[in-house]
Amino acid sequence: MALVQQIQLQGDSGARGSARRLAGSPALRLVGRRLLAAIPVLIGVTFLTFSVMNALPNDTAQAILGLQASPAAVAALNHTLGLDQPFFTQYWHWLSHVLQGNLGTSVQGASVNHELAVHLPVTLELLAYALLVPLLFSIIVAVLAARKPNGLMDRFSLAVSMLGLSIAPYAFAFILIVVFAVKLQWFPVISGSVGTTPVSFLKATTLPAAAIGFPLFAIYTRLLRGDLVEQMQREDYIVTAKAKGVPPWRVLIRHALRNSLFTLITVVGLNLGGLIGAVAIIETVFTVPGIGQDLLTGISNRDVPLIEAIVLVFAIMTVLGNLLADLAYAVLDPRIRYGRSTS
Amino acid sequence: MAAPLPEAAFVAAGPPPPLPSLVSSRKLRTQRLGRTLRLWIPAGLLLALLALCFVWPLVYHIPSSTNGNIINADAPPLSPGAWLGTDQNGVDEFSQLVYGGQVSFEVFIAVTAIGMVLGSCIGIIAGYFGGWVDAVLSRVLDILIAFPALVLALAIAEGLGPSEFHVILAISVFSIPAFGRVTRGATLVLRELPFMVAARLAGARRWRIILRHIVPNILPGILTFSLLGIGIVIILEGALDFLGYGVPPPTATIGAMIANGQQTMTVTPEYVLIPSIFLLLVVVSVNMLGDALRERWGVQ
Amino acid sequence: MSQSLLEVEDLRVGFAVGGRELRAVDGITFSVNPGNTLAIIGESGSGKTVSCRAIMGLLPAGTSINGSARLRGSELIGLSDSELRRYRGSDMAMVFQDPARSLNPTMKIGVQITEAITTHRKVGKAEAQTQAVELLRLVRIPAAERRFHEYPHQLSGGMRQRVMIAMALACRPKLLIADEATTALDVTTQVQIMELLLELQSELEMALILISHDLGLAASYADEVIVMYAGKIVEQAPAAALFGRGGSVRMRYTRALLDAIPHMERAAHSALPVVGGRPPDMTALPVGCSFAPRCGSAADDCLAKAPALTEHAPGHKWACWHPCENGVHP
Repeated sequence: MALVQQIQLQGDSGARGSARRLAGSPALRLVGRRLLAAIPVLIGVTFLTFSVMNALPNDTAQAILGLQASPAAVAALNHTLGLDQPFFTQYWHWLSHVLQGNLGTSVQGASVNHELAVHLPVTLELLAYALLVPLLFSIIVAVLAARKPNGLMDRFSLAVSMLGLSIAPYAFAFILIVVFAVKLQWFPVISGSVGTTPVSFLKATTLPAAAIGFPLFAIYTRLLRGDLVEQMQREDYIVTAKAKGVPPWRVLIRHALRNSLFTLITVVGLNLGGLIGAVAIIETVFTVPGIGQDLLTGISNRDVPLIEAIVLVFAIMTVLGNLLADLAYAVLDPRIRYGRSTS
Repeated sequence: MAAPLPEAAFVAAGPPPPLPSLVSSRKLRTQRLGRTLRLWIPAGLLLALLALCFVWPLVYHIPSSTNGNIINADAPPLSPGAWLGTDQNGVDEFSQLVYGGQVSFEVFIAVTAIGMVLGSCIGIIAGYFGGWVDAVLSRVLDILIAFPALVLALAIAEGLGPSEFHVILAISVFSIPAFGRVTRGATLVLRELPFMVAARLAGARRWRIILRHIVPNILPGILTFSLLGIGIVIILEGALDFLGYGVPPPTATIGAMIANGQQTMTVTPEYVLIPSIFLLLVVVSVNMLGDALRERWGVQ
Repeated sequence: MSQSLLEVEDLRVGFAVGGRELRAVDGITFSVNPGNTLAIIGESGSGKTVSCRAIMGLLPAGTSINGSARLRGSELIGLSDSELRRYRGSDMAMVFQDPARSLNPTMKIGVQITEAITTHRKVGKAEAQTQAVELLRLVRIPAAERRFHEYPHQLSGGMRQRVMIAMALACRPKLLIADEATTALDVTTQVQIMELLLELQSELEMALILISHDLGLAASYADEVIVMYAGKIVEQAPAAALFGRGGSVRMRYTRALLDAIPHMERAAHSALPVVGGRPPDMTALPVGCSFAPRCGSAADDCLAKAPALTEHAPGHKWACWHPCENGVHP
């Protein structure tokens, strides 16, 4: 990765090696640079969204007031909502408000801040569930599969991964509902809320998390299994470990897995941004009160402030995800963290 | 008197050749057979599905996919005259599948073509020229990737009215930067390879280098990437149809079939299952084909 | 004979490749005594690495290994992996060619050494650490306590190889195999590492097997030399019988290797004699002597029948129908 080399080049000025090591500064500087680079991205995304929403025929006020409303009333509402102002002015207003922490008012009248405060945690919890549990499973399955390549467990894991990659989340959601909610009745068909106790949380969110998480599990498992098998077959340090007499399980876990985890974290981070679509759909199917559902209703209402806010949230998640991926190399890989010391 | 310390002997030092793969000849033949099957079975399946959707209706007459007779509504699969039954409005399920499949294929071919051509151009230019060109183009790619294609698609559908063309447009916003990133990365790697440096030193003109050296070397990677991306595109297109923002009714689409089937899911799950399985078959065959080609061509 | 540390008898290693069998090692016999150094010399593909990895049990599953290899009387061939693991790293150890790739880049070197210790001995973490630091001192790494906590990329190539040696010596093995251990290092470091190995050998009374393509290395450091070609031993003798004054190299191949080493006394700008051709295709070995296609003196009987390795002079075995006379080309 070009990034890795960049940092290595910086760390190469020998004498200040120990000071650098203490401050961890290549990593910090990397974080700083990435965050700075993220700002134009965020602005770009929100600006783009704004332009799109404004480029389309805009009859929000009309939609709210109904078809019978008089042109005067529509114009008045337009004025109140600030929709008759020039495009750039509108964006500027929105941006300056955001920087002050105010995300605006939705066309429904509620404060967007409030909407997010209520619905965002729901989505975040769902996402956490949908990201972490598959991660755990995929590590277990991949390790078992890599232990005997082309063995039974391996073939099984490859087949399941292929299935997970190929199935549409919304189709899978329905299958889950039919099997688990209707026939087996383990879970409720629609969630409605995430509940307050851990048990009710699990009951309400397991199916939607599974619908989102199964494709993720497939991606992680394929990647991890491939990386583990490749290390075990190609890398010299694996031979060294075996030559020391280390038992095969330990070689797999202590030597190969720790190196594969970098790649895995990178992928988790990079995939984060792409989840917005799946989240929106799954939340709608299972009626989970998160921001995904809000997004869809917002779009049908032409609720620009709401849409902008949610798009911003997801864009931030994408950026953070990419940052996490870069950091995985910069901070966790000792080759970068410690640079080259004078020897 | 000890011999003076000599230079290394004539044999070139280098890593020892990798140990040859150790399988018995029978197992080797099985392996080769497996590899061939893994390529041709998904390819065959994909071709069969393509033929089903595009060729079958030309050869045989099938009932309309958009109009149906209420009288025939809710016929179960394997009823006479309706292989897979009919939905609530009497529209033939099989026909919906066939024509919906057409839409899916059309969309993914268009999106992939656009993404491949436009995205690769951007990626190669960014990767090859570097400098501020790269910086600017990379920012653009980043923005496009961070931009939620779903929102765009929905917004376009809302504002301009849904249509197949809009769907293609919206999903292309997502596929162009995807191709762009991949080709940029590949170009960056290729650019520093010795033969590329040699070509530059020999004074070859830039465009010539790009066309004759970079493109052929990236091509396998692009192709396998596109195959893997097709699955995502198909699923995305289905999602749009499912939400009602894709190709509008009465045109049959797979996603709409799933959405419709949702209503009577508990009683007649087959209306959800059949289109889902069709979708699954298409995506699986594309993914497996992508894997098999990657194996063959040794691409990352 | 009974005091030999390692006795290898008729070792054969075969892989199945493309439907045919590849005899990487085709019946080799040798032994090593404690405190002695054996050099196994050959080109890539001659079978030198494969034979030692077979003894260590480091070849992938599915390889066919036949014959006998006895370490202090205990038979190693045919043992299961878990049984062989008891010897691997403790009684016999191996040092590999490329220390940059042979050390796990994300593990501290100290931990990699303590792993070698704790795999075979039940010691606590602190005790293992102390032993590891001792080992680092043993291989002459300065500032051992600090180096313990460092990562491989923070060390130079020569130091990394010393770490590899420290790891190999963790349990005081009786047999150390150095597989092209100095090939990836620059010449000065090569000398340092070889000197280190020899010092450690006499300190610990180990048997040392040097695998290399470098005949000069064998000349400088070995007590006994085996030259391998196409999976067989073609010449086997004490080093004194081959090199230096009174030595005579008999096998054409060995002669060719020796001739290819540049000397100071050569005339300037003269072409180096090289052995033409390429190593043989191991799946399609010719009938007769495997070296015949490349040997300048091949005669009809060379092509017809493969010469057997026979002891023609005391302690000196070779396999050639028309060996060199008195170490010189006729």
